Amino acid sequence: MQFLALALAALLLFSACKKEPLSTRWDQAAATASANAASPPSAAPTSTVVKTHGDDLNKFFPADGVDGMKRVFTDESKKGTSIAKLTKDGKEVATLAINDALEDTAALKKFESSTEKVAGYPVVKVGGNQTAALVRARYQVKVSSPTLDHEARKTWVQKFDLAGINKLAEGK
Amino acid sequence: MTDSIHQRLESLPESSLTTHVLGALDYIVPGEWQNIVRFDQMIQSVTGDSDEALTQQVGEKAIALWFDESLGYQRAAQVFQWVDSGSTVAGAAALANMAGTRFEVLSFLTDVTPKSDTTQSIDAAVKLAAELTAFCLSNGFPGDSVGDFASSLVNAGKEEKMRLAAWVALDCVLPLGPDFLRKVMDAVHAVEESELANHRVFRLIADHLPGDIGAKKNLLLGNIESAGGYLNGFANEQGVTQGSIQQRIGEYIDIADDKLDLAAAAIDLSTNYFEHTGIQTVARRVIGRAYAEI
Repeated sequence: MQFLALALAALLLFSACKKEPLSTRWDQAAATASANAASPPSAAPTSTVVKTHGDDLNKFFPADGVDGMKRVFTDESKKGTSIAKLTKDGKEVATLAINDALEDTAALKKFESSTEKVAGYPVVKVGGNQTAALVRARYQVKVSSPTLDHEARKTWVQKFDLAGINKLAEGK
Repeated sequence: MTDSIHQRLESLPESSLTTHVLGALDYIVPGEWQNIVRFDQMIQSVTGDSDEALTQQVGEKAIALWFDESLGYQRAAQVFQWVDSGSTVAGAAALANMAGTRFEVLSFLTDVTPKSDTTQSIDAAVKLAAELTAFCLSNGFPGDSVGDFASSLVNAGKEEKMRLAAWVALDCVLPLGPDFLRKVMDAVHAVEESELANHRVFRLIADHLPGDIGAKKNLLLGNIESAGGYLNGFANEQGVTQGSIQQRIGEYIDIADDKLDLAAAAIDLSTNYFEHTGIQTVARRVIGRAYAEI
């Protein structure tokens, strides 16, 4: 029992450590999101089109093994978004994503200021480490990496099947 | 009202017995885990970008995604929390049992508590099933995606890898020895379905595992079988032995040579590494999705 006493004494010792107060900068977002979850806005949806399921987006990603990169899906089977990581020799190189930004005006608006294109699709930088293209005014194709620069990320955007995404049927 | 993910993350301690024990196990997965308990720091860890406006935008989106119950993040966090809320009590039972056998202080408990190796083995199997469940919820997979889970282990990083390392070290090797895999398999084979159905953690996660109790038990076995080869190799390659764990953890908890199972039970009782790193995993995942969607 002496052993247990030591363990519990250690627990009490560490439990006593103080930490910084919780941040408040996201409290408003949390209150809004929580209220929406409790009682969704009653307004009728603006269209009957639904977000494309991740399972229908996965086939448009660059194939596993391209440029010696291993592609591993990490969030791939839910509505609206599919995400995969690119790794080389076990190290993470970039994150690839396709997001159906249907009716997401905030996400779509940033492309209005786009000054460049990849394969005819508008492209923007998001912060310093992400490059996003917009296909069919709806699907964001994103490459994020703190080690690849914007030009290298654009090259990876082109490795997606952008034409295939552009042909996705309405409502899929 | 459910707490937001930023509140869950920021409620984790910067320093606790759990964080010190995990820090002591860093030798198994060098540099993989940092104890990130600030939401803005976790966002910047995901994006690699220190821009404050971007951080705010990603954080707000992540919180909206967290509250979208159809995406499964709240349930994944719940599963990680269930593991420790249940195992704390299981740990107490095992400790009482060992005390009853060895010291005869609580000998009246010997008849009503399971033998420690069996308890420990079932607990270990159930924890790995919880990891499978959280993986399936996070990815949107059906709850029996054992093959996908097993192959994902190779690519686990950061908090996930730390949690797996801690599971191998604290729930398997320390209490059960190098032959842990066989012991866990034997125990799951032998356990009565009714006993499994009443297991404190298993009964909580059981709803997420498809099929009847027989199918769920087979899933537990299949999960250990599929992941076992990798986990066994992981323990061997990283030098996870009772001696190495004892040496590292001994800095924080006094462990006698002949009381490793008692030590494992006390650590189980007094730490919550599944919950701690699990909340960090869910925060990282929901932030990653938010970064893809902004």
